Amino acid sequence: MITLALDIVTTAAILFIVSAGLLIVFGVMKIINFAHASFITVGAYAALVASRLGLPPVLAPALAFLAGGLIGAAAERVVVRRLYGRPLDAILATWGLSIVMGQLVTLAFGREVQFVPAPISGTVMILGEGYSGYRLLMVGAAIAIAVLFTGLLNGTRLGLSTRAVIMNETLAQGLGIDSARVRLITFGIGCGLAAIAGALITPLASVDPNMGLSWLIGAFMLVMISGGSLLTLGLSCFVLGGLQVLASTFISPILGGLTIAVLAAVALRLRPEGFARA
Amino acid sequence: MTPTRSFSNVLAAAACTTLLAAPALAAEPIKIGVPVGLSGANSVVAPSVVQSAQLAVEEINAKGGVLGRQLALEVADDASGAAGAQKAFDSLVFQKKVDVLISMETSAARNAALPIVARGKVPYIYTSFYEGKSCSPFMYVNAWVPEQQVPPIVDYFNKEKGAKKFFLIGSDYAFGRGMLAFTKAYIEKTGGKVVGEEYLPMDGSDWTSIISKLKSAAPDALITSTAGGAPNVTLTKQLRAAGVALPYGNLAVDEGTAKGMGTDAEGIYLSASYVTGIDSAANKSFLDAMQKKFGAELKTPNDLSVPEYEAVYAYKAAAEKASSTDEAKVLKALGEVSVEGPRGKIEMSKQHHAPLTMYLGQVQADGSVKVIKSFLNVDPDAQCPNLKS
Amino acid sequence: MPDRESALRSTALASLPSVPRRLVRVGLPAIVAMVLVIAGPWVLDTYTLNILVRALFVAITAITVDVLWGFSGTLTFGQSAFFGIGAYALAIVFTQFGFGPWQALLALAAAIAVTAAVAGFVGWLSFYPGSTPLYASVISLVLPIVVVQLLYSGGSFTGSSSGLVGFESFDLSLEAWFRLAGAAVVATLVVASVALSSDAGRVLSAMRDNDERCSYLGIDTSLVRISLTVVAGAVAALSGFGYVAFSGVAAPENAGFVFGTQLVVMVALGGRGSLIGAVVGAVVIEVASAYLSSSLPFVWELIVGVAFVLVIVVLPGGLFGSLRDATSALRGRSAVAAARANSQVTLATLERAAAAPDRDDVVVEADGVSRHFGSLSVLSGVSFKARQGELVSIVGPNGAGKTTLIRCLADGRERSEGTVRIASHTIARLPPDRIVGLGLGRKFQAASVFETLSVADCLRIARTKSDPPSLLRASSVLALPAAARAVVESSGLAERLGEEARFLSHGLKQALELAMVLALEPRVLLLDEPTAGLTRAERQGFAGVLTDLVARERLCVLIIEHDLDFVRQISSRIILLHQGRVALDGPVADVVDDPLIREIYTGNNRSNKAM
Repeated sequence: MITLALDIVTTAAILFIVSAGLLIVFGVMKIINFAHASFITVGAYAALVASRLGLPPVLAPALAFLAGGLIGAAAERVVVRRLYGRPLDAILATWGLSIVMGQLVTLAFGREVQFVPAPISGTVMILGEGYSGYRLLMVGAAIAIAVLFTGLLNGTRLGLSTRAVIMNETLAQGLGIDSARVRLITFGIGCGLAAIAGALITPLASVDPNMGLSWLIGAFMLVMISGGSLLTLGLSCFVLGGLQVLASTFISPILGGLTIAVLAAVALRLRPEGFARA
Repeated sequence: MTPTRSFSNVLAAAACTTLLAAPALAAEPIKIGVPVGLSGANSVVAPSVVQSAQLAVEEINAKGGVLGRQLALEVADDASGAAGAQKAFDSLVFQKKVDVLISMETSAARNAALPIVARGKVPYIYTSFYEGKSCSPFMYVNAWVPEQQVPPIVDYFNKEKGAKKFFLIGSDYAFGRGMLAFTKAYIEKTGGKVVGEEYLPMDGSDWTSIISKLKSAAPDALITSTAGGAPNVTLTKQLRAAGVALPYGNLAVDEGTAKGMGTDAEGIYLSASYVTGIDSAANKSFLDAMQKKFGAELKTPNDLSVPEYEAVYAYKAAAEKASSTDEAKVLKALGEVSVEGPRGKIEMSKQHHAPLTMYLGQVQADGSVKVIKSFLNVDPDAQCPNLKS
Repeated sequence: MPDRESALRSTALASLPSVPRRLVRVGLPAIVAMVLVIAGPWVLDTYTLNILVRALFVAITAITVDVLWGFSGTLTFGQSAFFGIGAYALAIVFTQFGFGPWQALLALAAAIAVTAAVAGFVGWLSFYPGSTPLYASVISLVLPIVVVQLLYSGGSFTGSSSGLVGFESFDLSLEAWFRLAGAAVVATLVVASVALSSDAGRVLSAMRDNDERCSYLGIDTSLVRISLTVVAGAVAALSGFGYVAFSGVAAPENAGFVFGTQLVVMVALGGRGSLIGAVVGAVVIEVASAYLSSSLPFVWELIVGVAFVLVIVVLPGGLFGSLRDATSALRGRSAVAAARANSQVTLATLERAAAAPDRDDVVVEADGVSRHFGSLSVLSGVSFKARQGELVSIVGPNGAGKTTLIRCLADGRERSEGTVRIASHTIARLPPDRIVGLGLGRKFQAASVFETLSVADCLRIARTKSDPPSLLRASSVLALPAAARAVVESSGLAERLGEEARFLSHGLKQALELAMVLALEPRVLLLDEPTAGLTRAERQGFAGVLTDLVARERLCVLIIEHDLDFVRQISSRIILLHQGRVALDGPVADVVDDPLIREIYTGNNRSNKAM
């Protein structure tokens, strides 16, 4: 029972970490970054490089954020900038970007599956049951990310400009806010966050050029039903992630993998604009 | 240290091999096709398989080749799956027109490839252990089947660990299901009980809910049969992270992958036809030659890669016995020749399968395998009663 | 005026010359292609044939993606799922029951039946009134994932991760397979080409350009899209069926998301909206990846990825689209425009179905109509009746709820409370296309036409509901009701029937939209600020048209207007809305002189006269 509850909480945390970057990009720029999967992969390989170089594991997410953020900013300048107002084309172009990035990663690192050792091994005793310490760490990471970005959005000038752009870009521009710069920084941060997610999840699984793909659809659906709100995203991750764990445990892990996509599609049918204000 | 670039190494090595072949004799080289999982689940072990093939080809070519012709390797990626295998085999059989196919593949890839092998009429030596009962007049197998590999582990858990309740985990495809079906039958035959049987698709990597079910079923022992390579590693990692310390028998792990897992692999029981610790002159000279050829890039020789080495020699023996590379003659000869390799004397004489010496071992903290018991010349039983050999 | 019968006869006669022209345009390349297909096996080697057979089956599915995306505007990643269903239907039936004629028929029937059911469900889920193209794409993303997971969970029935192999299949030679696959591609191209260039095919382009306008012309766009999804799905399933019949292996990758996206890449690179582009894109990519995947695997895919990004961002037309643009640039825009403008479309007039009734029945009845948004009340308790032959102007300051009232009359789902009756039928919760069927026509404030269609085609689409268009012919006669024809001729549109709507001036676009709405032969006409942006002369012309319509055809016209002079000139009655309520309702003379109207417009709210 405890194990099940912890499974749900940690799964929700992992989903949140993976989706947060996509939400930020969608909320501010109203486009869906299908290259999100590749940025997760970039972060994972950054963690691989960090472990090969012998760096302390704490630095891996930082290295990942740097790599993801810089590549993301470059992508925004070159490709994404021309696609505002064309949401379906944005999905396609970012998907193309993802193919390009995947091939570059393969050229650099080879296409075989590789592994990163977990920084924390072993279990933590929770209420009489041992549970994976690293998974519990993910909960902490998710909370830290949520707090950090809410703080950024609400407590800084950049955050204020960003919120203005979210609400009414034309008006914000008219008031002198450089919305192009806001978009650039936001996209960079969103991609950097995806990379952090990649660095954090690799110790649990493995690294290969296509690993981000399995997270993309889940993250995408969660973002769609959350509208633009981080809080709603957290709730969606909890509810849908929880249902996924329950389905995996009591029905089958294979059908459990479907839960998020199917339920989110149904939810969107009922409320196409997402549940942000609910 | 630079990240491994095994594919470009393979490409370079294959190019070198073909270059070596060219000036030696005017005769055209004999092409050996090696379709293997350079990407996907098997990508962890594929490099070791290619290295074995490369060493065998180099040694044979240095001694004059086969029937006066040099050997050349054609490596292709089957992506560890059915769709990729189709493309790889099509390319090797119809485009590159290889004389023989020698490789280790997932069962999904093998099953998809067999119709192409039959259509192209190319001899195929399958060098991977698998779930058994796959039969084709064109295919020979020199690796183990469940009848040879499973009983040692189950018997050991039963007698030495007193295990009565078993939990089974596998990858959801022919190999995983086939192995665990045999295992379940054997467990029940020897008085044990299976309290849980769970599967994930071959590419799945999230074992969380299965591990939770394992814990709540509270078995005495765990036996797994995932696709070789990546799923093994993710499962073991997640098992250890969740604190599972049961007797753990892994039917599909090889020494190389175990070494790659690091400390997580310690304590795993495996049953294999090859471990690096085999104390024989043939094994020692094999390991020396591998070390000399590949140096720091050497991938641990293991139960999936050594049969590849021996299979190349088996082809040499068969072609020389048949005095030709004609496929019908070679196929007949393959069932009659024997090879002395690191695993001892191998003869694919039992309905296209081979009796093998099996070793029950446990992975140590440094990644090496300590042999607990060995079983000489274990018979594969009747795998293909309809094949005449 | 020629009567209806002769108009239809001339329609039939006039469409004949167009058949040979289209026949040549489609037939000639088809014959050349078939010659290539038959000759192919004599020239190409075994390995290439092998790859081409598979590539050709994939090309058929690529054509369906092009039809859905390039022609009807729905970006779909899900055609791979239907391909996979067809593939697995064959594999499962042959594995379970062996191979034979009845098994083959069973497999075929299963492939089509399951696909139709799934496609119908997916269509119903994606295309409901008010759905967005993005949602349809989302569903198309989820579909292959669901299908693949179901395949994984099928144990030995579906082969799970291994897929299904080893089943006996059709025993044709490689050459025969090549000819069969090639012929299938040519047939699909011909059928698609004929259907899409027919009158019915134009409806798809219209829906892609302006879905809302189509609804308001009485076309049930959801039904059209769902039907298209089912047909496209079935074709994809058949190509999957052929693919696996040839290759002998059914793997989950055949139904997966990655394959679905590859199809989109093929169509994008080859040229969306040009059927041949889809085929070229599919064949080139499949063949090149087979050859290059062993020697330069990463570089090849990298090149494809970069090309794809370039196409999406800079060259939306892909290969064939860019070729088309280049050739028209070479030929010169004026030549093309002249060619288009000189299209041989002739106008004809339809006889009135029935004599315009001399009565003055109530055709619009609103009773207690209210519209709330949460606690904000935009309309409350609006009630009035309007009769045939009345020209009622709805006036009021901004925010009074005028457009919302029009919406509540035209769309049964808009209002929060109250009843609306059009031609004595309660509209309940009917969508716009059904209400149009009751006899209502709505003209939007911003001219809502089909930008990339010609004037003639726009008008033809407007006649879809009454004259169902053919899937074969592209007729060259445009038969319109007298009122619509009058607008077309008096506005000068009659000289520009071949010109694309987006090149028209603002005033002409408004006239076109009015003609389109009149082509519906409505009994009630709703107009939303129709004179906005018109010149004085245009406004006068418009006034003349409206008064004519009311007098001769006995239409009931409800018109939202700000220009009080215009209102005074043409209306028989004025309804004044203020803050969501009817403040005044009566003949022109009474309302115009009422002091309340001045107070409301200048913002003086001293008197709160309840009406």
